[in-house]
Amino acid sequence: MSEIVVDVWLYGGLSKYGGRAQQDSFANVEARLREGSTVGDLLAFLQMPTEERGITFINGQLSAMPGFQPDLGHILSDGDRAAFFHLNSMWPFQYRHGAAMIRELAEAMQTGKDQGLHHSYREQESKA
Amino acid sequence: MWFIRVNMTDLTSRVEPLPDAYKHLGGRGMTSTIVAKEVPPLCHPLGPNNKLVFAPGIVTGTPAPTSARVSAGAKSPLTGGIKETNGGSSWAADLADMQVRALVIEGQAKKNGKLWGLHLAWDAAASQPKVEFFDANEYAGKDLFEVFPKIYAKYGDTISISGCGVAGEYGYGNAGIVYNDPAKRPTRYSGRGGLGSVMGSKGLKFIVLNREGTPGVPVMDEALFDQGRKKMIDALRTHDITKPKGALNTYGTAVLINIMNEAGGLPTRNFSSGRFEGAAKIAGEAIFEGNKQRLGKELYNHACSPGCIIQCSNTWHNPDGTEAASCVEYESDWALGANCGIDNLDDIATMVKLCNAYGLDTIETGATIGVIMEAGVIPFGDSQGAINLVHEMDKGTPLGRILGGGTAFAGKAYGVTRVPAVKGQGMPAYEPRAVKGIGITYATSTMGADHTAGYTIAPEILGVSGKQDPLTPEGKAALSRGFQAATAFIDTSGHCLFIAFAILDIASGMEGMVEECNGVLGTKWTTADIGRVGAEVLKTERAFNEAAGLGKETDRIPEFMRTEPLPPHNQVFDVLDEALDTVYSEL
Repeated sequence: MSEIVVDVWLYGGLSKYGGRAQQDSFANVEARLREGSTVGDLLAFLQMPTEERGITFINGQLSAMPGFQPDLGHILSDGDRAAFFHLNSMWPFQYRHGAAMIRELAEAMQTGKDQGLHHSYREQESKA
Repeated sequence: MWFIRVNMTDLTSRVEPLPDAYKHLGGRGMTSTIVAKEVPPLCHPLGPNNKLVFAPGIVTGTPAPTSARVSAGAKSPLTGGIKETNGGSSWAADLADMQVRALVIEGQAKKNGKLWGLHLAWDAAASQPKVEFFDANEYAGKDLFEVFPKIYAKYGDTISISGCGVAGEYGYGNAGIVYNDPAKRPTRYSGRGGLGSVMGSKGLKFIVLNREGTPGVPVMDEALFDQGRKKMIDALRTHDITKPKGALNTYGTAVLINIMNEAGGLPTRNFSSGRFEGAAKIAGEAIFEGNKQRLGKELYNHACSPGCIIQCSNTWHNPDGTEAASCVEYESDWALGANCGIDNLDDIATMVKLCNAYGLDTIETGATIGVIMEAGVIPFGDSQGAINLVHEMDKGTPLGRILGGGTAFAGKAYGVTRVPAVKGQGMPAYEPRAVKGIGITYATSTMGADHTAGYTIAPEILGVSGKQDPLTPEGKAALSRGFQAATAFIDTSGHCLFIAFAILDIASGMEGMVEECNGVLGTKWTTADIGRVGAEVLKTERAFNEAAGLGKETDRIPEFMRTEPLPPHNQVFDVLDEALDTVYSEL
């Protein structure tokens, strides 16, 4: 089976999952995965628990928010850029309203009651 | 409660009881109401008929958390429309504690070039504030870092200061109004719209407030106020963005650099790309780790003003551990960094400090330098050249004056067509082609391109929930309208806009904000009134702008954003004018 290469960016504390690529405040990793690999497979490759990541991008398209991760089954392609943010990051709605999203997240937000307006969907903040 | 008018033409002042019509106003609601009522919309912004109004928010000066905010309002020399520009400082709380709900600066000192200062203190015998003028000529043309210690030395440690730098003396469109920070430095700003020049044009250099003996803000219903205050504190202390060691306290607002870069929405090299290869080097995470290396310990951020429990203001340090600049905000970091192709934090911090020293708005300054780089005056990435350009503004050279005119003015002077501005105000750090919603707010805000004009409040409170699809242009316009109204309310309340992050997710915090206001004013508002009260402010501002010649034809995004696809998503701004027009036609 052929291989794909994913350009992975790990920010803040997540840089520890970058191994030798770790720098002070980020890591840029070249991940070699089997063709057909998903975001979930990439996390396994990085040995990064999915609950430690928050805002996530695939090719500049938002794919997950803190506690809201419909992207685990998203299939990656050769040359994709994946970026993972720590839970101390933020992207307020007014600054992402109309930004690009992967199909899985757009559909999940469309069916959700708040249509993706909130900052976090983790249990401890579901007070709205 | 007091209403003070200062006439700079004859150097007189009047301290009067607050008119009944203004008793429920504060902050932006107060400044915009007074400007709309008293300033001729077609007057020259730097002439004697413009007025500069300062108003603390409704809960400013009370123990309400994160509320030491002041609104400055006038007709803007940058946009030609109404302007409210908000700042956080002990100056705001001191004005409120003096029970001054509005301070209106009128007229113009007759002797050209003569500068005055105002000293406000509490007159215990008369139980009201008193106003004195002082000669401020000795501070003319000087670095604010040199001047502030002299004013503290002269008036003592119980004062706070507002003023304008040399930029305001020159009459630049990018001159801000400066306030002291808790360390007595000139680093807090009502930055946008050139109101520092309105102050300078009146012959007014500084306003010194002495808090000694001030009575504080009266609260009509202490129990209700306290209930609201506790709800607000709980929300701010538990939310991931606003809590201690949360996103803002750890990384500051510059935490958005990496996010916007990954989203393809970080304007780079004068809005020619949405992604900057040097972003990670200048991001909030890099500031935190860089400080840790240079100081040998973790450094969390500090409060810009008394009573703030979010504490998002950072300080960047030199390699030897001394202070380089405070505060390297996201917008400043972007404007003087990615927008100019500069990826060196030390150089960015140098420019931030120079802007603070000269009284310049960092956003307008960086946006202008980006346009000048586009013109080829200096190349993108030339940080020493950019630093020199900031010095040119201090010197008042012909080039410095062109730069001081702002983004649109400099673009005209150099024949640049890619000019990121709306209503003459330089665009902040979110690309409308990548984030269409913020583009609608930039286009339609009464303030010109303004990233603080439309903070998110739950749509169910604004009455727009479920009515329109938020992904359609009309749905985005409806949300922008609601967000702009909610923001006008928060700017009126006296809270920092960053409380919006927490109260969006924690509904009790939203109730708390309204209860705090009701506690102070004795009103019976509910959360449903947030949109109504805010919309009244917007209508007032919009009417002024229309009378000043800023109608719906000016609610437009620059042409190049409709024709030039922005990498990496290669999108243009495609929201139709008809959708933009619904923001106000349906207000």
